[in-house]
Amino acid sequence: MTTVPAVALVGISKRFGAIVANDGVDLVLSRGTVHAVMGENGAGKSTLMSILFGLVSPDSGNIFVDGKPTTFSGPLDAISSGLGMVHQHFRLFESMTVAENVVYGAEPRRNGLVNRKAAHDRVRELSARYGLDVDPGAVVGTLSVGTQQRVEIFKALHRDARILILDEPTAVLTPGEVTSLFAVIRRAADAGTTVVLVTHKINEVLSVSDEVTVLRDGRVTGRFQRADATSAKLVHAMTGREVTPVANSGSGSVGAAVLRVNNLTVVDHHTVRVTDVSVDVRAGEIVGIAGVSGNGQHELVEAILGTRRALSGTIELLGRDIGAASVRDRRALGLAVIPEDRRGEGSAVQLSTAENLTLGHHRTAPVGASRGLRRGWISLRAERARARDLIAEYDVRTSGEQLPVGSLSGGNAQKVVIARELSHNAPLLIAEQPTQGVDVGAIEAIHGRLLDYRATGGAILLVSHEITELLALADRILVMYAGRIFAEFSRSEATTARIGAAMAGAQAETDIPTEASRL
Amino acid sequence: MNIEPVPGGPGTVAPRAPEPLSRRSRASALLTLAVRHPAVVPTGAVVLAVLIGAAIVLAAGLNPISAYSAVLAGALDLENLDYTFSVWALICGMALAAAIPLRMGEFNLGGNGQMVLGGLAAAFIAGQLDLPSILLIPLAVVAAGVVAGAFGAISAPLSTRYGIPIIISTLLLSPVAVAIVSYLLRFQLGEAGSAVAQTERFPDSAHMWALGSLSYSNMGLILIIVLMALFWLVDSRSAVGFELRVIGANRRFASYGGVRVGRLAFGAMAASGAVAGVVGAIIVLSPPYRLVDGALLSPGYTFAGLAAALLAGGRPAFVPLTAALFTILQVGGGGMERSADVPRQLSDVLQGVVIIVLALRTIVDSRRTGRSATS
Ligand SMILES: Nc1ncnc2c1ncn2[C@@H]1O[C@H](COP(=O)(O)OP(=O)(O)O)[C@@H](O)[C@H]1O
Ligand SMILES: [Mg+2]
Repeated sequence: MTTVPAVALVGISKRFGAIVANDGVDLVLSRGTVHAVMGENGAGKSTLMSILFGLVSPDSGNIFVDGKPTTFSGPLDAISSGLGMVHQHFRLFESMTVAENVVYGAEPRRNGLVNRKAAHDRVRELSARYGLDVDPGAVVGTLSVGTQQRVEIFKALHRDARILILDEPTAVLTPGEVTSLFAVIRRAADAGTTVVLVTHKINEVLSVSDEVTVLRDGRVTGRFQRADATSAKLVHAMTGREVTPVANSGSGSVGAAVLRVNNLTVVDHHTVRVTDVSVDVRAGEIVGIAGVSGNGQHELVEAILGTRRALSGTIELLGRDIGAASVRDRRALGLAVIPEDRRGEGSAVQLSTAENLTLGHHRTAPVGASRGLRRGWISLRAERARARDLIAEYDVRTSGEQLPVGSLSGGNAQKVVIARELSHNAPLLIAEQPTQGVDVGAIEAIHGRLLDYRATGGAILLVSHEITELLALADRILVMYAGRIFAEFSRSEATTARIGAAMAGAQAETDIPTEASRL
Repeated sequence: MNIEPVPGGPGTVAPRAPEPLSRRSRASALLTLAVRHPAVVPTGAVVLAVLIGAAIVLAAGLNPISAYSAVLAGALDLENLDYTFSVWALICGMALAAAIPLRMGEFNLGGNGQMVLGGLAAAFIAGQLDLPSILLIPLAVVAAGVVAGAFGAISAPLSTRYGIPIIISTLLLSPVAVAIVSYLLRFQLGEAGSAVAQTERFPDSAHMWALGSLSYSNMGLILIIVLMALFWLVDSRSAVGFELRVIGANRRFASYGGVRVGRLAFGAMAASGAVAGVVGAIIVLSPPYRLVDGALLSPGYTFAGLAAALLAGGRPAFVPLTAALFTILQVGGGGMERSADVPRQLSDVLQGVVIIVLALRTIVDSRRTGRSATS
């Protein structure tokens, strides 16, 4: 074909010390298309985008914009050449209004002062053009994450970006917000904007992209047109191996109730977080809890674990009322938890991997002892041996069990948490976002383990905002919204659309309240 | 636009077994490990303090080399070694009292009050009970530990129940204890007819056992060494020591994992206070075998011990070494004043510099983790 591509990156290489983040990468973006850049964590996607946007200078390779060789000395350069970027982590002024953020650096002026009215009009105009509703006068810090992201997008569109780079934009969005984001992306592309969508989610690539470039370990391992791309091909290019998705077959026998939560209400700082929630989880069953984060799921988990007191209601574990029991007693009775906040709650980053794996196992064999002379003492040798075994079993990539967990990548740190909690073999496992930050290949391994847990009679309460994960694993799915169980679906009734709608509070609202109702 | 699978693209990429980290990244991991080694920052702090001290001495127109060699000579002279070791035991004991709560991320700034209460309890037993040494001395030491431990433990529920930070409550309670002991010595327990507020001299049966023919170091030194060894053992090998370190590293993680944070804080503060009390007992059961008002506090063992514990990061293996460092400064300061004409206050300056460098490290660390948390 003869059309000049909007952007061509040729032979881009970039090293960070010993790490080769990009290794001879070619990326060609055709004008007016949505181009997905895929790859697992650490594949080099963000680095490549930073190079394109002038934030990082490549060690070698060339950038062509509209066919002309270009070097960007910084992002301002890139912006003036018509590029715009929405970063993985937002770069907004939280105490300023939407309009101020959008026009920042390219303010409409009148008599040398910023023209506030023009700025507001501009935001309204962009809102109307792209069908995204944002209040120009709202203070950014008070907005939901999804809305903040729209502000980021508006910032780029305000400067008439012809090439829009979105780095993992959906990681923080609800299904409804993802849908409306994709509508905007489509509209922008149809209007001639070239969109680069960085992601590691296959369904997103398949639903919105025209072309796909796959990276692995800094190299291009696949290029596809939308029509040729299949889920299997993409996964293979990303991981370098065949990954067979696992799913709950629905078979197996369900036993007695392991967890019984009745009419639980949890209040935090005068705000009701959980309202009258009842859930049962039986042996050999995975009960999924769907919901946008902040709708009470985490407080429910904390109440079951015992790190938070419930206002009213009862919690029974294996038929015993544990409402007044300590965390330690609840765990001893048969509870393990994979928490949502890995760094804040699920691990101690300065402590070694071995020590992180030991917590909760330090008073029982083999590391500790629950009776006899060795009771209350720890065997360092047993701790090391156990840590090595778990590191091997769970494929944690680390150069030693004595290295601090903080030095591991997010996915590997997550595996440490999972290894520690699964190795309790507790009758009840609560898994909150168990695959967060974990690569595609490892996700399937973790899903497989959860299904094995279920098959051996374990009861699992699975809290997730990944609908695909819930559909693959859960026997039943409850949706939490504003602190209540808003809907319940059996395996056969559950569909992405139904769950997504319930997560948003059933009505197709554009803005989902993340705060539960005030007392 | 012509898009086609790259040669050797997805179809031909050979399945790859997960391979271990490359040698390169292992080397860099080792390097990080070395830089993060717990001894790096403390050593740097000491070197910096020594350099700053040298600059101060130079600025005063004196010779830093002779000043420092006078410090070393004063402390490590063979004839002085006996005395140096007796001081080391006391600083080490107070360092231990600070190190125990430091493991769970808490600061005990009430060492003075705990030490003085321990001294009072020991003095009471030693002065009132007519028992043979073999019973009297252990009893006095245990009583000191119990009383001071109980006093130290008060801070734990104040923190867990009422939210008063341990660093604050220990700091504020300490002068209260000091004042009470001072009052008792002056008006209730003091030796009648003495111009100094002090108890009567204890009977011989209450004199801490000597170590051979040494005149300063006594069984108190052995007791402190045993306590240090116990601390090391509990810290590295016991469930409780492990839990304390987990609390220090991340309190939420500890609670989530089932650690009973309140109980552990209580135990740690009781142990910390008890050790300070034992130090007080060792002091009063040593010459002049009396509890003298102010005599326990004036040498500044509490602050030197706190500085040593901070420098060691609370780590049991390092505490004796950092305590030795401050002992040398303290004991050698006198020698320096005599032979190099440098005021002994330079020792205090060096202690201060070490603390400031350590405080800076804490700030830098929190900045760094703050940043990496958002990146
Ligand atoms: N500024 C940097 N300094 C050192 N290493 C970096 C830096 N940025 C990225 N890396 C490394 O480069 C690799 C690719 O990172 P990145 O481009 O962020 O991957 P992705 O966005 O695909 O997850 C990773 O191994 C990462 O640790
Ligand atoms: Mg990235």
